[in-house]
Order: sequence, then structure tokens, then C-alpha cells
Amino acid sequence: MAKPTPDREIEADAALALAPRESKDWRWSLGLGIVILAVIGLIPLTGDQSALGMWTFIVMYCVLAQGWNFIGGFAGHAAFGNVAFFGIGAYTVSLVLERNMPYLLGLVLAPIIAGLFAFLLGLPVLRLRGHYFAIATLGIAEALGQVIQSKNVGGTAGEISLNPPGLNFELTNSLFFYGFLVLSLLTLLGTTWLTRSRFGYALVAIRENEQAAEALGIATYWYKVGAFVLSALPTAVAGGLFAYWQLSFDPVGEGGAFDVSISVAMVLMTFLGGAGTILGPILGAIIIEYLDQYTSISFTAIHGPLLGVLIILVTIFLPQGLIRLVQELIRAPAGVKQSYPMRVRQGVRRVTRFILSNGI
Amino acid sequence: MAQDIVNWILLGCFYAAIGLGFSLVWGLMNILNLAQGSLVILGAYVAYWSYTVLHLNPFVGILVAMGVLFCIGYAIQYVMINRVIRAPFLVTFMLTFGLDLLISNVLQDVFTAGYKAINTPYSSAGFEVLGARIPLLNLAVGAIAVALTAALSLFLSRTRIGNAILAVGMDRDAARLMGISVANSYALTFGIGAALAGAAGAMLAMTLQFSPIFSGQFTLFAFVIVALGGLGTPWGALAGGLLFAFAEVFGPLVPGVGFGLDTAIAFVVLVLVLILRPYGVLGKPFYS
Repeated sequence: MAKPTPDREIEADAALALAPRESKDWRWSLGLGIVILAVIGLIPLTGDQSALGMWTFIVMYCVLAQGWNFIGGFAGHAAFGNVAFFGIGAYTVSLVLERNMPYLLGLVLAPIIAGLFAFLLGLPVLRLRGHYFAIATLGIAEALGQVIQSKNVGGTAGEISLNPPGLNFELTNSLFFYGFLVLSLLTLLGTTWLTRSRFGYALVAIRENEQAAEALGIATYWYKVGAFVLSALPTAVAGGLFAYWQLSFDPVGEGGAFDVSISVAMVLMTFLGGAGTILGPILGAIIIEYLDQYTSISFTAIHGPLLGVLIILVTIFLPQGLIRLVQELIRAPAGVKQSYPMRVRQGVRRVTRFILSNGI
Repeated sequence: MAQDIVNWILLGCFYAAIGLGFSLVWGLMNILNLAQGSLVILGAYVAYWSYTVLHLNPFVGILVAMGVLFCIGYAIQYVMINRVIRAPFLVTFMLTFGLDLLISNVLQDVFTAGYKAINTPYSSAGFEVLGARIPLLNLAVGAIAVALTAALSLFLSRTRIGNAILAVGMDRDAARLMGISVANSYALTFGIGAALAGAAGAMLAMTLQFSPIFSGQFTLFAFVIVALGGLGTPWGALAGGLLFAFAEVFGPLVPGVGFGLDTAIAFVVLVLVLILRPYGVLGKPFYS
């Protein structure tokens, strides 16, 4: 019996819905990420050394936020001690350089040692949940800095002072800038791979509902340890680059290699951009670190409080991040043709409703 | 040795005061209040100000600090935290961290990072028992801390408002159906937590030196104290305070450890307790 046309159309629709249809979003995110990094990569060409220094910090924070994204964004575990990996990277490179061994050896050793540390630390710490995990990681980072300071690792009170590389000043700065940029690009590729891999899906499942993930046969504990190690790797390399770029730094306190505010910055940046997304950490890092550097030069008095206000506003109004906001803006209702201004207006309305929908 | 024991008990009671408000807010609202340290320091400044400017007795200053901090805490919860109370805990975690940054930086801008303390004519008064010197002010502070713990416990179990606060902590939606204003109740909880932090700050100003740069350290201490003692009851904070002070006073006496490692010691103790007794020494499933 011949079916009427409308039914066949519905059938075709149903078949389409059933067939696994992959989201193409990741191509946009990856492409946009590469474009952003490429544009930033043009900065040394301007020859402005102070701008170069500022953007080196920004790209460094991109890497740190991207690293945090693995454990915090994908696996949904609020690690507040990722600065420990940064510090371990910085001190590994410093100790290698102080023994007159090649820098590259340090850069290779840094992620290995930090990854091993993350593995051994993750075994007990990842059995804790929620607040306990957050504070345990925070405390271990603090304690590590304190041990290095009081046991005089690498120098008196842990103060590092290295000999500069024997190259001219401009070239050195550009080299470290591109080092961070390449690291950020690699992490971007890694993140993109993660969003489409079995490993990444398992982490997202853990974030959404750990018990359900466990029930589905995912070895949640080991996946979490894996994510923790993964987040340590780029962070440690960034620490290694930071050490030789800065040449002298303290273990603790502001600007130190184990400064807890670095940990917090990673979390805040990823949050502002969008946790668990490809582009989120990069966007968040650029916005926050730019603001931070700008106010620390031009408006010193409000620099400290400003970061606090920023955190408060972001967490109240944008807890899901900017990327989520963009998605909300461009999300078009299926099958309805609308004029362009109409879509913009509706998108803006959706975004406002989304921002104001928090509260009890 | 007698002196160490005296130091341990007095410090432990003071630590209990720092943990008390933190324990209340964490236990009832599942909020880790990272601004606790800043609120303690803010309380210390209020007490310092009421002593140097208003020339009030330092013990009256404790009440002033509690009053001021209660209002600030109430407003913080009502205006800000209530907006994100249903979000995942990381959001409130970040929010209170932002508050901490804001308060401690403003304090640093206004008062500078210099050390301050309340110096009274009787600051150095004390007496000796069995060769151990007991400073009078520290003894009073310890007694007040224990009294505050008892008062909080009685307030929660015996008064109508206290019962309402507990009810909201147990089941927000059921409490609302019973006619309790959830927003107001949360704000009261945070306000009381802040008032207790203010009291701890005022006592800090009376016995030790303080500066805005200490705020992070006190938040960390509060967490360790509460996690050690357990979330179940206000008495958990007292147990945790004593335990933490024990590690801090007697830890450096262990050969090979030495001074300058207090944070590291605190966390080693914390991790050990979390492994052996995940809910703390006096932990119970619910706050009461």
C-alpha cells in the first residue's frame, strides 16, 4: 500500500534523527582558535617589547587555563592546586640549568616529573570529592611551595636566579613568546582531539554523573587520574618556559612559581570562557589577563579589588561562560525561517533571559 | 612541657572560634566560605577601630565586631550568594573567593599591609600555674570561644529561628512549604557565620598581631579545623581547633621537622584524618 507523501517525509526525518549525526562545531572552534593564535603570533613583528612581554604572559595563561580545562572543565573536578605542576616545571628546569645541563633536557624532564607527581598525587586525592578535593589540591600546592622555601631548594629560601641565555634580548623574548604560542597550539589540538575521543566522552560522563558513568562500565577513577596527569603536562612545560624566561623568581608569594593566585586565575579564565569547551580557556585567558595587565599598569589602586569584582560578576551572571552565551545567541529554532534582524532580536532576548535566570 | 600544654589549649580554643562560623555555613548551605579569613581580619579592624577611635573596652569591641559583621554577612548572602545557591559548588566557591580578594585588597588599600594589634594596660597580665604562664587575655578569649560554641549549639536546637535555619539546611523546598522564608534564612545563616568570624577577628586583635595579608592563611586554617573536627555539630569546630593546635604546637618538636612548615603540617594532618575518618572526628551526617 502506497503511503502518502507527508508520512514518507516524517520517516526520512526519523531516519536522519536516528543516524549518528556528528556536530560540526569542533571545526569552527578549532579554526577560530588557530586564527586567534595566528593573529597573536604577529605581535613580535611590531617590535614593541612591552607589548610583547604582556602578550607572552597572556599566552602563558592560555596554556595554563587550557591545562586546567582537562581536569576542571572536562572531568568537572575543581582542582585548585594546578600551580603545583607549574612550580614543579619551573624548579625542574632551574635545577637542570643550575647544574649546567642543556635547557631542552629540563623542558623534557619537566612534564615527565610533573606527570609522575600528578599520578602519585591523584591516586589518594582523586578519591576525595567536591570541597575536599578542591582544598586538598590547594593545600598541597601551598605546602609544596613552603617545603621548597624552607628546605632551600635551588637557592636560599628557594629563590632562583639563573644566568640568561647568551642571545640578544629581542630574539630571546620572541623565542619564549613563540614557545608559549606553540605550546598553546598543541594544547588546542589536544583539546580538540579530546572532545572527539572515547577518553573525552568518558570524562564528560564523569562530570555529568559519576555514578551513572561508573554503572556504564567506565573506570571513572583511572579516567580521572588520566585527566589529572594530562592537565599537568602543558602546565609543567609552561612552568619550564616561565623559569628560563623570567630568570629569577621566588617559590611563594606574588609572582612566585607556587603562587596560589595562578591556580585561581586558571579556574576563573576557564570559567569565564566556558569550561569544557575548546575555545573557552583561550578566550577567558585573553580577556582576564589583558584586563589584569592593563589595570596593573594604568590603575594600580583598583587592580587588586578589580579582580575580585570581576570574579563575583562572572560567577553570578556568567557561570556557564561566554561560549555558552554565544551558543544561546546563535541557536536558531529548527525549521522556522526568520529574517536576520528578527533572529538577532530573539537571540538577544534569549541571552538576557539566560543571564538573569539565576537565583533561588 | 606544661607551657606547651597551656599554649595548645588556649590556641585550640581560639582556632575553634575561627572555625565555628565556617562550619555553620558549610554544614547548612554547602558553601565553602573562602572569604572567612577576610571576614576575620575585617572583624579585627572593626574591633581595633572601636578601641582606638571610640575608646571602647576590647570586650565590648567583640560585640561591635559581631554586629557589624552580621550586617555585612547578611547583605552578602542576600544580594549575591542567594543568586547562585542552586549552582554547582564550584560557582559558590569562586564567588566567595572573589569576595575574599575584594575584601582583603580593599583592606590593604585602606589600612596598608602593616601589622596592628590592640594593646591594653592589662595585655601582659597573667599568672603562673605549675611553672606555666597563663596570659589573662588569652584565657578570656579561650573561655569566650567555648561560650560561643555552646551558645551556637543552644541557639540552633532551642530557638525558633535556629530550628528554621536547621530546617532549611535539611530540605530547602520542604522548609519553604512550611512557610519559612528560604532567602531570609540563608541570609541569617551567613550573617551569623560572619558575626562569629567577626568575634574571632576581635579576639585575634586582642591577643596577636593582624594584617590583611593573613586572610588566606586563616581561611585555610578554618577549612582544616572544620574538616578535622567534622561538620556535624558546632562542637566539631572545637575538637578540630584543639587537634589542629596540637599539630601546630607539638609538630615542630618532632626531630627533623623544625619551624616554618605550619601549612605543610596542617595538610599532612588533614590528609591523614580524611583517610582514616572521612567525616572528621565528631562528624555526623547532618548539622544539629
